[in-house]
Parts: sequence; structure tokens; C-alpha cells
Amino acid sequence: MKPVMKQLVLDIHPDAPPTLDNFVAGNNTELIAALSLLAARDQALPARHLFLWGAPGSGRSHLLRATVALAEAAGRPAHCLAGATQGAQLPETPGALVAVDDVDRLSPDAQIGLFNAFNRSLANGQSLLLSGASAPLGLTLREDLRTRIGQSLIYEVQPLDDDSRSAILRTLAGRRGLPLADEVVDFLLRHGRRDLPSLLAVLDALDTASLERKRPVTVPLLREMMQQGLSI
Amino acid sequence: MNQDFWSFCLSRLEQELPQQQFNTWIKTLHASEGQCDDGPALTLTAPNRFVLQWVRERYLRRISELGEEFHAVPLQLDLQLPAPGAARTVKPATAAPMNGGGSNGIHAPAGTAAAGTEAPQRESRSAATGMPPPAAPAVVIRPSEPEPASAADLAYDKTRLNADFTFDTLVTGRANDLARAAAMQVAQNPGTSYNPLFVYGGVGLGKTHLIHAIGNAVYRQNPRAVIRYVHVEDYYADVVRAYQQKSFDAFKRYYRSLDLLLIDDIQFFNNKNRTQEEFFHAFNALTEARKQIVITCDTYPKDIQGLEDRLISRFDWGLTVQIEPPELEMRVAILKKKAEALRVEVDDDVAFLIAKNLRSNVRELEGALNKVVAYARFHGRGISLEVAKDALKDLLNAHNRQLSIEHIQKTVADYYKIKVADMHSKKRTRVIARPRQVAMWLAKELTPMSLPAIGEAFGGRDHTTVLHACRTITDLRLADHQLNHDVHVLTQVLRG
Repeated sequence: MKPVMKQLVLDIHPDAPPTLDNFVAGNNTELIAALSLLAARDQALPARHLFLWGAPGSGRSHLLRATVALAEAAGRPAHCLAGATQGAQLPETPGALVAVDDVDRLSPDAQIGLFNAFNRSLANGQSLLLSGASAPLGLTLREDLRTRIGQSLIYEVQPLDDDSRSAILRTLAGRRGLPLADEVVDFLLRHGRRDLPSLLAVLDALDTASLERKRPVTVPLLREMMQQGLSI
Repeated sequence: MNQDFWSFCLSRLEQELPQQQFNTWIKTLHASEGQCDDGPALTLTAPNRFVLQWVRERYLRRISELGEEFHAVPLQLDLQLPAPGAARTVKPATAAPMNGGGSNGIHAPAGTAAAGTEAPQRESRSAATGMPPPAAPAVVIRPSEPEPASAADLAYDKTRLNADFTFDTLVTGRANDLARAAAMQVAQNPGTSYNPLFVYGGVGLGKTHLIHAIGNAVYRQNPRAVIRYVHVEDYYADVVRAYQQKSFDAFKRYYRSLDLLLIDDIQFFNNKNRTQEEFFHAFNALTEARKQIVITCDTYPKDIQGLEDRLISRFDWGLTVQIEPPELEMRVAILKKKAEALRVEVDDDVAFLIAKNLRSNVRELEGALNKVVAYARFHGRGISLEVAKDALKDLLNAHNRQLSIEHIQKTVADYYKIKVADMHSKKRTRVIARPRQVAMWLAKELTPMSLPAIGEAFGGRDHTTVLHACRTITDLRLADHQLNHDVHVLTQVLRG
């Protein structure tokens, strides 16, 4: 049998920058609305700070970056910080929106930094947008920080239902110019892991395989890849 | 005409507000009438920045609503301070809710939010006034003029006080009665009653509110008093800065020039030796000059880790008061007060639902209330028991999940460093029996389980044993300081 010719593929992922619009909302419409109010410093929001939590892959980082971008677009200073690498000193820009991703990974010094940011926010007009892996009750942080987080407006990023997942897959596939047949989406959602990171990994693999082999994405292609070791 | 309006406004506000609030905030305003291009105008002059800020945040919206009700057209409303020379115009809050994101490119979800947030506010306003919802914004905002802040303004800013935290807004109950009484004494006679006043209690129980209240009360009595609220972390930053800029003289001069020093969270001094030394000298200088110091901490002085003995002994010179976690009725009252600040109406049953389920600290109550308010606004519904239950579904579940009896037993066993198995064992030595009694007491306080069920969970004991344990712990808490502290800490940990 003639070996299958494979096209070499440039490793480019044309994913759009995260916005609140391109977040598939599912059951999170209230959260999305609250974030847009937070970015705009709208007084309809009953709290100055917002904490959102959810399982890995639920889209926390997407939401943080999207909200920061929205605030910046409206001319408000904004910072997006990663909990794991954040030091003791948080930005003190007056009026800024300060987003800290993964607060559960803050070092002890950084926890005091965030504690100070809470205390100083009244004077410097900052609002904090925080994310974590669990509800405030389950966060292992200093107690004085944990309760301050608990005082914020708290949202759980609700897991997506299958309709939303299939919508995301189609959107992302469409953005890559990759036509995705309905039965492929159904197959993935019936047989594979349904968390978003897993689905996106499969989409990447399908995209590459489709380009390499110059074949459309179909269930037979998917099965073939699974036989060659792709786990879905 | 406008003077008539102000009398009308006063009579309405007098009916709507508690007498004390009306006298403190509204009666002190000076109103002057006028007419501008756009219609009737009213200028309110507040005696100081403190009142101004308060009125702007709490009452301006209501006054503008009344203005529209009275004149049937939007009222031009200015709020200012009596400054010699140029008066400072402060931008009033808009009465109409913001656009909700339509202008910044958010589509479906945010648009829904705008509709959702706007509707109930309008409803509540029309319900309050009995008038149809206003078609135009009730307050016309003048472009703010870049004028220098008045001296009083700057002086208040320098205190770093939060004008929201006053004795008026502090809910009182058994948990903070003593602390509040002492704080009011100190506010009335700074430097001469209790010096220092040392306030301690768990996180989120209102220590910071209390010391701001002292500062605000002293400022109201004497706006010339030099007051400074400082968190220990900021004090530490000041020391570091003084080091870097070699400006220790200025630093010392400043802190020793104060009439009232309010220093928050002293436990953060932990092992910061140079900062402690500076504070020690400032403390001595201030107390010698009979200037007041108020300190807060999360624990009582002798338990503070990493603090020099000479400081600890000085903290005992004055009065040490504790703030305890609030009981149910007080939590309900706190929620009602917070709701008032958010300008929403919360019925007793809703407040009770939140207060019953969230017991540990005030911050958590506030978080839950925020959640309910946001939910109601988003869905365009009033705040009812049903809405509150929906909004708090996750939160309530998370709490109920945590407080199983196994969780209590494990937490107590870990705390006293005994085995969880000892909770069920027949051993009766003090080191095991006492923690077991504490765990039984906590199980009774923190879960809805029956006493027989609790006894069963502790190795099949009789319910009278549980009853005896609960009585013993209740009695011992009054006599045994250490045990009381243990129970306090455990309660905090369990309630999360």
C-alpha cells in the first residue's frame, strides 16, 4: 500500500482574543452581564469586587482577560495578573480594574498584597476581579483575605451543557475554516470527555489531521485517528 | 418656589428617614433656591465634606426624585461645601441607571442585563413616590469644574477615614455592646478615658467599622483634630519608605503630631522589628501627650505572635474589649442595614433566611446579600424569599455540605491533636473527654441534629451525655479563658 502523503502544517492557531461576546454563555448570562457592569464601573452592580470560581476549563481566564480588555477599551486602566506568579506588590493605579487569576495559587506574600489591595480599594477606587478553583468557603488562603473575597459578588462559572459545547466546537472550527459535520460533534459529545480543554485538544488534532491528509473531518477520519492512538 | 420645594422635601424626608439620620444629615444642609436655563435649580450646602459625601451617596438620588415629583420637570441639583471664595461643586450621582453596557459593544447578555437592572429600580422608585417612572434623568449633571479642594476636604481625606463607617451605621447587639460603649466613650473623651483602646475579635466582625466610627465621631466634634486611620501594612510601608528616603525625622514628627491614631490589624506587626520599635516610640510619645490610640487585632494582646513584650504590656494600660460573632437577631439587623445602604428593600423573611444560614462573619452576610440583589436586578424581579433561595442555592448547599458531624469531629480532633477515633471511644480522661464535649457542643450549635442523633454519632452515647457536655462547655466558657478561646477559634473555622 502506498504510504499516505502528509502535508506539513504551519503551527498557527487563529483563535480570536477573548471577549465577553465570544464566550459561549450557556447558563452564565448573569455572570457575563455582571462582568460588563464591573468593567464599566456601573453602580447597578451591588459590590465593588467580583469573584468567580469554577472547574478548570470552565473559562475563568477567558472571562478575566475579556473583562480587562473591555475595561481598557472603555479607557479604564486595567491589569490582568496570574496568581501563581504574582508578587507581593499589586498595581496601585487609581481607579483600575485589577484582575487576579487563580487566587488559590497566591504565595503568602502575594496574599498579603491582595489583602492590602482590598483595604486600599476604597481610597484608590480600584475594583478587583478574582478567580479561583473553589467557592470562598473552600479556598485555603489567609482567613482575613478569604472572608474579604467572600464579601465580593460571587459567581460560579456554570458548566456548559452539550448544546453550548457543540456551539463552541462549531464556532471554533468555523473560525479555522474547518467544516465540522454534525455527526462528528455528536460523536465527540457522546463518546469523549466533554470538558472544554479535552474537546479543544481533539479539535486541534482533527484540524491538523485534516490538513495533513487533505481529507474532510468525518467520523471515519476520527475513528482512524483513534485507532492510531488519539484519545478523546 | 424652591424654598417651598425644600420644605416639602424636608417634610417627606422626615417621614421617610429615622429621626436621628434626618437630624444628623438632612437638617444640617443649607438650601438655596434658583432657576437655571433648564428649569428649577437647588443648591445644597453641606457643613463639611463628611456630610457632603454622606448625603451624596445616600440621599441625593431621593432628593432629586422628590424634586421631579414636585416640579414635574428634572431638577438641577448641586451639592457643595461652604468654602471661602469659590464654592466647590460636586458632581452629583446620576439618578438614572447607567446604560448597562450597550455603548461598549456588548450584545445579547449585557443588553439583557441592562433591561434587567433598570426595570426593578424604576419600579421601586415609582412605588415609593406613587408617581409614574420618570422619562428623563432626574438630575442634570453639570460638567465638573476643576476647582481646588477646600481645606476641610483635604483635612478629611488625610484622615483616611471611611465616611460610611459611623456609629449610626453600626448595628449593635450583645456581640459588640461593650466594645461599642467603650468606643463611644473614647470618641467623646479622646485621650482621657481608655488609652489605648484595644479591640479584638475574629475576622469580619466589624473591628474596622468600629475604629472608623471613633475617628468619624471625633472629626465631627472637632474637625481640627489631627486624625489618622492606618492599617499596619501601610504603617510598615511608611517605615520602609522612611528608610529608603532617609526621612525618619519627618515620619516621626508626623506620627507624633496626631491627636488620634487608629491602627488596624496589629497582628501584622509579626516579626517586623524596626516597625515595632518605631511604633513603640510613637506609642509612648502619644500616650504621654494624652493623645488617643485605638488598636485592633484578631486576638487578645497576650496571644499576638511575634510581638515584643514591652508593646504587649503597654496594650494592657488601657481597656481591652472583644467583639464576638453576631447572634441571629443581630445578623438580621446587619443585613437590613446593608440593604438600606444598597437602597434595596429586604423583607424580614429574606434577611432571616440569609442570617440563619450564614453565621460566621459579617462579610459573608454581605456577600450573600450582594448575590441576591444582583440576581433580582438581573432577572428583573423583586427580592422575595423565593428569589433569595434561587440566588443563594450554591452558597447554601456549600455550607450545608461542610457542616456534617464528621467534619466537626475531625476539625476538633485535629485542633486538640487527638485521634478522630477518640471522639467515639469510651475513654474518659480529661485530654480526650474535654475535646469530645467541645465537639458535642459545636454539633449542637452548628447543626440541626437532635441530641440523640448527636449522641449516636459520638459512639452511641445517651442524649443526656450530650446535654451534660453542652452544659459543661457553656459553664466553662465563662470561667476558663483558654477554653473560651478554643471554642471561639473552632467556631470560626467550622463556620468558614
